[in-house]
Amino acid sequence: MNRRRFILACAALLAFAGTVALPSAGRADARSDAAAKFVQDLGARAIDVLVKPQLARDESMRRFRVLLNEGFDVPYISRFVLGPNWRTATQQQQQEYGTLFERLIVQVYADRFAQYSGKNLDVNETLKITGSRPEGDTDSIVNSQIIRPDAPPVAVDWRIRTRDGKQKVIDVAVEGVSMSVTQRSEFSSVIQRGGGQIEALLDTLRQRVGSAG
Amino acid sequence: MKLPGFFRSRGAAAAIALSLSAITVSGCVLPPRDDPAALAAYKEANDPLEGFNRAIFGFNEGTDILLFRPAAEIYRTVLPNPVRNGIRNFLRNLRSPLDIANNLLQGDLAGAEVATKRFLINTTAGVGGVMDIAADNGLPYRSEDLGQTLAVWGVPEGPFLMLPLLGPSNFRDAAGVAGEAYGDPINLWATNTDRDEIPVVRGIVGGIDTRSGLIEPIDDLRRNSLDYYASLRSLYRQNRISEINNGQVPAGSESYPEFPEFPEDDAAPAPAPVDNSNGTAKSSKP
Repeated sequence: MNRRRFILACAALLAFAGTVALPSAGRADARSDAAAKFVQDLGARAIDVLVKPQLARDESMRRFRVLLNEGFDVPYISRFVLGPNWRTATQQQQQEYGTLFERLIVQVYADRFAQYSGKNLDVNETLKITGSRPEGDTDSIVNSQIIRPDAPPVAVDWRIRTRDGKQKVIDVAVEGVSMSVTQRSEFSSVIQRGGGQIEALLDTLRQRVGSAG
Repeated sequence: MKLPGFFRSRGAAAAIALSLSAITVSGCVLPPRDDPAALAAYKEANDPLEGFNRAIFGFNEGTDILLFRPAAEIYRTVLPNPVRNGIRNFLRNLRSPLDIANNLLQGDLAGAEVATKRFLINTTAGVGGVMDIAADNGLPYRSEDLGQTLAVWGVPEGPFLMLPLLGPSNFRDAAGVAGEAYGDPINLWATNTDRDEIPVVRGIVGGIDTRSGLIEPIDDLRRNSLDYYASLRSLYRQNRISEINNGQVPAGSESYPEFPEFPEDDAAPAPAPVDNSNGTAKSSKP
């Protein structure tokens, strides 16, 4: 491979991209700005509703579920996480899976928030928005840092999709690791090891979170 | 199995690879041909040696629960935070020659400059590297290793590999780890002057220090995963892609996850309503 030619081509591409990208980035900035504010507000609400008060487990799970559905497109995420297996599932399986998936998320994250329960955190000192950019036609990526005492900050990127003028988070990436992609990989492994049957995943989920009745 | 040229040129690495493939002939999983979902899963997992890897993983889990996690917890309890930071800074500073070399090999002159400045500042003003003065002055640490360099050169990652004691890796990164172990100037000096214990102590302390910073995340992952091995495999791969790109995963690249709409699924629990008020089809994406 001719490296010099490659570098030259890259440089030319960069210069070109610089002149072209600016006006279009300006047009879409309103969307990504709004997305940044959306994430900031969501963080503030999470701290007010979930972290500051001392809550019983049931109550914190109830509150988290409300917040989750306000801020996140849970049906989209659950569909994404099932990947190609969605199409082979029956409608009944899809429905049960959707319920179980939401329950799993609520249980896991309500417990994670419980570790911080009763702490008087300030959103501006905990969640620092470091940037945002439009992505594709409908999405924005909001970059943020979670500041922790006595530990290095964690880079968290939020992918926000705007649909019918409403914003919802569709993915969260922690230090470059997408939660949706990780979960998809995990679910797919459970299904493959269960002989390619989605029922294997449903069984595992039922055992974990209780039946979806 | 086709191995990258790097492997063939290294006797020891080639021997390891050969013995690995000998062990795993029986555990090798062939790609499924008839089922598209299974094929997609096979490709995403990138783990034809899964049977072998899961066996190593079982061994690693045992040693971690019995040995490394307790050791990491004692380390964290006994040593106060400033002392642990000092140890971490010192070990990072020892890696400086490798960091500088890898930056240069990747053609990242700015990165090499930062790594060199860090080395000079922290070795002198930082008292032999114990204090990270450079990071406080706008020169943060960024890890560069031979695996990342090989990736920048276009060496494919190869199949996923669970290394005994060292944990998740792949063929490319395992070659990187082996190469660095041979090429590290501190280790070379230690071996040549009959101080063989230095690389060993360095490795153990570094391992326990890293593990002590991951006690809660790993506990969380173990507790909440439906398939901990599969989670770890995906985490490792994504994290490496992020490191190779220095945290800036370029959009549109193959490694960047796509988040398509699912218009074909009208039976979805909450189908995304497409704005069709003009009677026209949804605008095509670039």
